[in-house]
Amino acid sequence: MQLGNSIRAVALASAGMFVVAACGGSSTPSANLAPAAQQTITANDGTEPNSYDPTQQTYTYEAGVGRNTFEALLKSKPDLSDVQPAAAKSYDVSSDGLTYTFHLQPNAKWSDGKPVTASDWVYGYQHFLNPALAAGYVDPFFDGTIAGAQNYGSVDVTSASAIDSFLAGLGLSAPDANTFVIKLQHPAAYFKWVVTLWVAVPIRKDVVESAAGGAFPSTDTTKAEVWANSPATIIGNGPFKISEIVSKDHVTMVPNSNYWGGAPKIQTLTYDFIADGNTAFSKYQTGALDITGVPIADVTVVRADPKLSQQAHLFPTLTTFWMTFNTHETPFDNADVRMAFAKSIDRQKLAVNVLHDTDKAYAWFIPQGMAGADNTDNAQSFDPTAAKALLTKAGVTADQLNKFKLLTRNSSGSKTINQFIIDQWNTNLGLNMQLDVIDSHTVTTDIRKGQFDIYGPDGWGADYPDQQDWFDIFTSGSCRSLNWGCPTLPGYDALVQKADTELNQTQRNKDYLTAQKMLIDQAAVGFIYQQYEYDLIQPWVNYTHTAFDDQNLPGDNYYNTAYITAH
Amino acid sequence: MALPAVAVAQEVDWDVPEKQIGLWQDAWQRFRRNRLALIGAAIVVLLVLVAVSGPLLVHFGILKDPLKQDVAFIEVGPGQAGHPLGSDELGRDTLSRLIFGSRVSLSVGILVQLIILPIGLAIGLTAGYFGGRIDNILMRFTDIWYAFPDLLFVLVVVSVFQQYTSGSIVLQVLMIFGAIALVNWVGLARLVRGQVLSIKEKEFIEAARSSGSPPLKLILKHLLPNSLGPIIVTLTFGIPNAIFLEAFLSFIGFGIQPPTPTWGQMVNSGYETIYANPSSVVFPAVAIGITLLAFTFIGDGLRDALDPRMRR
Amino acid sequence: MAVIAGRSRWGALLPARFSTLFESRGASLAVFIVRRILWMIPIVFFVIVITFTLMHLAPGSPWDKSGGRQLSKAVVDNLNARYGLNKPLWTQFLLYVNNVIHLDFGLSYQYQNKTVSSLLLQSWPYTATLGGLAFLLIVPVGVGLGVLAALRQNTRVDYITMGFATLAASFPNFVVGSLMVVVFSVLLYRWTGGNFFLPSSDFKLDDHLIMPVITLSLLSIAFTARLTRASTLDTIRQDYVRTAWAKGLPERIVVIKHVLKNSLIPVVTILGPLFAFLVTGSVVVEDVFNIPGIGRAFVVAVASYDYPMILGTTILFSLVIAVANLLVDVLYVFIDPRVRLT
Repeated sequence: MQLGNSIRAVALASAGMFVVAACGGSSTPSANLAPAAQQTITANDGTEPNSYDPTQQTYTYEAGVGRNTFEALLKSKPDLSDVQPAAAKSYDVSSDGLTYTFHLQPNAKWSDGKPVTASDWVYGYQHFLNPALAAGYVDPFFDGTIAGAQNYGSVDVTSASAIDSFLAGLGLSAPDANTFVIKLQHPAAYFKWVVTLWVAVPIRKDVVESAAGGAFPSTDTTKAEVWANSPATIIGNGPFKISEIVSKDHVTMVPNSNYWGGAPKIQTLTYDFIADGNTAFSKYQTGALDITGVPIADVTVVRADPKLSQQAHLFPTLTTFWMTFNTHETPFDNADVRMAFAKSIDRQKLAVNVLHDTDKAYAWFIPQGMAGADNTDNAQSFDPTAAKALLTKAGVTADQLNKFKLLTRNSSGSKTINQFIIDQWNTNLGLNMQLDVIDSHTVTTDIRKGQFDIYGPDGWGADYPDQQDWFDIFTSGSCRSLNWGCPTLPGYDALVQKADTELNQTQRNKDYLTAQKMLIDQAAVGFIYQQYEYDLIQPWVNYTHTAFDDQNLPGDNYYNTAYITAH
Repeated sequence: MALPAVAVAQEVDWDVPEKQIGLWQDAWQRFRRNRLALIGAAIVVLLVLVAVSGPLLVHFGILKDPLKQDVAFIEVGPGQAGHPLGSDELGRDTLSRLIFGSRVSLSVGILVQLIILPIGLAIGLTAGYFGGRIDNILMRFTDIWYAFPDLLFVLVVVSVFQQYTSGSIVLQVLMIFGAIALVNWVGLARLVRGQVLSIKEKEFIEAARSSGSPPLKLILKHLLPNSLGPIIVTLTFGIPNAIFLEAFLSFIGFGIQPPTPTWGQMVNSGYETIYANPSSVVFPAVAIGITLLAFTFIGDGLRDALDPRMRR
Repeated sequence: MAVIAGRSRWGALLPARFSTLFESRGASLAVFIVRRILWMIPIVFFVIVITFTLMHLAPGSPWDKSGGRQLSKAVVDNLNARYGLNKPLWTQFLLYVNNVIHLDFGLSYQYQNKTVSSLLLQSWPYTATLGGLAFLLIVPVGVGLGVLAALRQNTRVDYITMGFATLAASFPNFVVGSLMVVVFSVLLYRWTGGNFFLPSSDFKLDDHLIMPVITLSLLSIAFTARLTRASTLDTIRQDYVRTAWAKGLPERIVVIKHVLKNSLIPVVTILGPLFAFLVTGSVVVEDVFNIPGIGRAFVVAVASYDYPMILGTTILFSLVIAVANLLVDVLYVFIDPRVRLT
């Protein structure tokens, strides 16, 4: 998932390689369980979700709610090595890799007690793939894999019949109440990961239609979403259900007693929407908040405090950041020039000093913690002398470069990092470049049009721990739609394509490693750091910290097994 | 923010021309007697001196370079590591940034009045001189303009034009000038119009009897000396208003962009480190407050000094 | 608005009132009100035109998200078709005006599938509470301080209250807000280990509102105090007051019966601008204290190019201010028997 800017450790992807049974508890409840009245978790979600319909959720702070109220077919294993059953007990893949048959959990029930059937899944996927709703996560995960979904973007959304025939033509079927079959366009070893996304969930057709006041045409997007506006009609198949939504303040979830995996011990799960880090920080100190991110500015305060420093935890996330160069502008089409820029950033200083050691210097692409991470290639390491030599070798003068600007999003994190980076470039390369600070929205417009010289920090957080999610970013097909700088890397496209469809895991890994080497050695972009997350967690919260990416808050993928110890 | 004056005479005292010279001397005496106004003036003079000499001080090493980052000493407290007022999130010297920020605030505050003046004069003159339908239309126009909440308007204008000014401090400053002037000319226009109307009343009577001189010249001849006082007062009160608008704009991230330091930016980033380093908020906040206070005192003093009603 | 200096802005309003005399005050009052209401139409129209033009001058597209997944071009085209953004500007403008007349402000771009009206309704209670409490604080405190200072003119009490007023007036609200947070939330916490009066996004009528309300009120209290003081001084010098003094009436009676009523007249004139100031001030205060009111919604909408939301909020603000001004003018007519209606 693409990330903009923030270095605040609140509400972004988090993960960890190791399974940490944190805070002195293991997953099995110990004797000192707090009484039921105290089994509550209040966490700071940071921002209010735009929608409580999981198919429409695109940000981690939204998915954090979606994941707890709905459940996808499969789930990531805590150590990220593979997938494990979730709403689907098991699945089979046909030998040609084109048909996935999911056997649903036999006693799965909705929060209102009705059984979850395969046709609910078909309806859910169709609702998600309705072009009129323009769900953010359809492309490329689903329209690029599910049979018949290739034309997602070109369906006429003003015609209900066009939409209906598109949806009917998708490779989704329910041969019986407990079997959900998906057909693909082409073999995709990573598809098992795609179905773990929080957007791919079942939806109750009868609930949707009754909330809308009856059946409605597929073009009516307002009616299609009415059900998602009030807790009474948000019926999900996840371990929790929403009991209260107080707009701009919080959302409260209570256990779904009908959940097939057993009702959670936590009786009340509240997500606050406190956008200001300092406010959340104060609230945590009063004990009214159990889990919150530590704003970068308060890291020193937390570390200096004997009590707080015990409660703070640094988790790696599957997210890395880099600086992008517009290769359509000379001399950025020259790999040596890009490499010079990459090699003149002192990443250590950035991570340790500017970011207060809450992120780690990282000159590679795939983050530590997932398959494919490899830190052996040091081509981009900090070396100002070598950097200057590269510039000279490329025959580029300071005057040529001084007219370039570093496009910066108008947020505190981006501004701080970019002021540091441009200072590094100016000092280490003898330049005098300027920042170009514009509001975040316009920055996105500009990079989509290719109207920039240098842009950053640009980043990526894994949607799932498979390399396919990452390497597609830099294909030439992604030029101006993720691959902002459009560097041309001979052989890259073919290699990635091969690896994406390859079914042999060892071979895939090898291919992806070669692709990463290409990215690093030709300085497609300048990698700078891997994001970590610094959170405060009250000592009485027992949770299973998993290495699952896209997790919003520590442990929120497994809140159904969390509990509070007596305190 | 400026307090509006309670009573400024719109009546013109026609005995004034003989005592013209006396008015200014008299005003100066009264201003001098106003202790607060003097303090304000002293503060402003000091601010301007420091602001102007900023680059010189840096050149001679007395002051640190406000743009120089020193990431080994991020967010240190006042007095540490050679930073008299501490350092910011990239290790830059706070005192130096305060001084360079004052250059922005003072220039925006004072110079924008130079843009408001001609606009207000022109519209006020036109409305007052021509009267009738033109006056009506212009006044209705100002009424409508007045109904638009100025802070919101400035926000919208700046957010739209922000992207056209990227990377150029000059353009950014001009944009701020434009936005602030755009919302603040109404007061001056109304004032001028009022003055012109009063003059016209008497002047036409005289002009009808005398021969030759075009009324416009006469109006101008009498307008300037009599209205200069209130106009000056209005513009003086406009300075803290402009400084506030600029500070608020940079506080929410619009306007002049980093790395150029501005007080509003400093309050904003200081606000984030409020737990770790409260002084990073206090210094720029106090700087803004004192500057506004000083200009308000001066404005008050000027208004009292130039108010013919209070003359004995 | 309130930051315009000099009497020019408020003063210029007053002369318009002292115009031709109608025979019946009741009828003229009705005419006056109707005319003012009619005036709101061009005002709102003007506001729409300006905001609409400005927003569409910006090159960004509302579908470019500042973070998260970007939408593909085909999807963006579809969205544009759905929201009518691919039509020529003229058409869009006319469609919008037509909708406004029917009180439909459209769907927000940011919170898709939520209408602007519903979002405004959600945010409204926060702003109203803040503004209402501030108002309740400003009027008594401001007037009280002003009268006190006038009655004790040139004594220590006068200097202290007016000094405080000037001081409060010079520190912009976001500055005051930040400083208050420093003192009460940070420093007091450090010295005492407890948390006091934290800024909070909770919507509770409790001590969390103390700081935001004070911050919002300070400037207006100062301004009201100064105005009240000046007009009270004027009134005191009047002959009928001197007569009351001479008669030997106790101070309190003199003040209440004679002075207060008449010195309040100019104060009423500023209630309108005060209201407007509370509205714009709420933008600042809500931002500093993270209160999810309309002011904050506006700032967020501007930052995300949520055209319908920006337009809707601006129209709402302008209307509120216009109505407040009208109410104040009507009130003024009742209070001051000398006032004539245009």
